[in-house]
Amino acid sequence: MAYVIAQPCVDVKDRACIDECPVDCIYEGPRKLYIQPDECVDCGACEPVCPVEAIFFEDDVPAEWGAYRTADAEVFAELGSPGGASATGPLAADHPLVAARAAQAA
Amino acid sequence: MGTELRLQPKDFKSDQEVRWCPGCGDYAILAAVQGFMPELGLARENIVFVSGIGCSSRFPYYMNTYGMHSIHGRAPAIATGLATSRRDLSVWVVTGDGDALSIGGNHLIHALRRNVNLKILLFNNRIYGLTKGQYSPTSEVGKITKSTPMGSLDAPFNPVSLAIGAEATFVARTVDSDRKHLTDVLRQAAAHPGTALVEIYQNCNIFNDGAFDILKDRRQAEEAVIRLEHGQPIRFGTDHAQGIVRDETTGDLKAVTVTPDNEARVLVHDAHTPSPTTAFALSRLADPDTLHHTPIGVFRSVDRPVYDTQMADQLEQAVEMNGKGDLGALLAGNDTWKVGRSARHPRSTTAARP
Repeated sequence: MAYVIAQPCVDVKDRACIDECPVDCIYEGPRKLYIQPDECVDCGACEPVCPVEAIFFEDDVPAEWGAYRTADAEVFAELGSPGGASATGPLAADHPLVAARAAQAA
Repeated sequence: MGTELRLQPKDFKSDQEVRWCPGCGDYAILAAVQGFMPELGLARENIVFVSGIGCSSRFPYYMNTYGMHSIHGRAPAIATGLATSRRDLSVWVVTGDGDALSIGGNHLIHALRRNVNLKILLFNNRIYGLTKGQYSPTSEVGKITKSTPMGSLDAPFNPVSLAIGAEATFVARTVDSDRKHLTDVLRQAAAHPGTALVEIYQNCNIFNDGAFDILKDRRQAEEAVIRLEHGQPIRFGTDHAQGIVRDETTGDLKAVTVTPDNEARVLVHDAHTPSPTTAFALSRLADPDTLHHTPIGVFRSVDRPVYDTQMADQLEQAVEMNGKGDLGALLAGNDTWKVGRSARHPRSTTAARP
C-alpha cells in the first residue's frame, strides 16, 4: 500500500510534497512526480500539501484517474527501490500514460 | 515448526488504521520494522510487542503480532516477566523518550543491567508529543516549549550513555528515515542474546519538527554523522577526511582531520570489547545542541549470561533439589517457612516461630 500521484500533477509538479515527505520517496519525472511504493511509509504528509489535490491513498483514487492507481509503481518496475530521491536525481522517463498526454496547461 | 515460514512485510500489518500525525517519523519506523519482521523467521504468534504510554506506544496496534499497550513506563517490567516465563517468544518493547526515561527510568535501567532477552526500541523525538509539546528528558537545555516558556533548565539524558552506564550489553542508535541503517541495526539487535537498546531518532513533525534534520540532510549529514562499523576505522566527513582519535593527555575522544601522520591513530571501532569505556566516550562525542559528530550504529555488543536462561536454570535446579513443590499447600500452610538447603527435608520446614 502506498500513496499515489494522479493526473492533476502532470505538467504542474509543484514539489510541495517533496519538501514534506519524511523519507524522500517522491521522485521527479519529466512531467509528473512519482511515489516509490516500497519506500512510501503511508504517513500521509504529502496529501494535504498538494495544491492541485493530485495525491491519494491507493484505494481512494477517483475512478476518472483509475489508471494512476498503478502508474507510480509501474514506473519503478525496472528501477526498483533506489533508496532516496534526492540522491538518485530525476527519472529519465515518464509513465506511458503521462507521456501520451497532450501538454496540460498549468 | 514444520514448514519454512515465508511471511511478507504485509503479513505484519494489522487491520487497524494507523493514527499518528501525517508525516510522523513513527510511520517510517513502523514500515522498517514490518519490513524486517519476516527475517526473524518466526510465526506471528511467537512475537510480542509491549509498549508503555505515548505516541510511539500505539505501535502494537499496528503490528499483526501479539502485543500489549501497557502502563506508563512499565513496558520493560511487563516484558521482563513475559520474556522470562515464555522463552520461546521474541519480545520487543516500544517506548519513547518520555515513557522510558522519565516515569519509566528505573524500569529501563534495571532491565538493561539484568540482560533480559528483550529488544527495546526507544523512539527519541526530544519532546512530549502525545500531550502536545512539553519538554522531555532528552530536550536540550534552553528549549522553549509549552512547559518551559523561558527555556528548559534540565540537563538532558543521553540515552546511549545512560544505557552503557546501566550495564547494557547491546546499545545502538539509528535514525527513523534511514531505512537501510535502521533495518541493519534491528537485525543486529534481534540477533543479540540479552537486552538490546536501540535509540531511534524520530522526527515529531508537529511539536519538534526538524530536530534531526542535520543528520538527514545529505550535505550536512556527511559532516555531522559518524557511522560506526565494527572493525572499521572511525572516519567521516567528505571523502572520509576526518577521523576519531584518542587525546593522549585526557584519554578522551576527539575528531581530527586525518593526515598521513595521524592516520595510524584513528580509532578502530570495536563493539565487542568487554570494557564499556570507549563506547561511552563515543556516546559523548555528539554536541547535544547541534548534534554535530553524532555516532550512529552499534556502540556496544558484548556477550553476558542472559537473565531468562539463568533464571530457568535456577528453577530447574530447585526442582531437582526439592521436587516440584506444592504452591497450594504453601499458601494454605503456616505463616512462615524456610527456603533453601534445609528444605531438602520436608519435615523440618515447619516454621520455627520465634
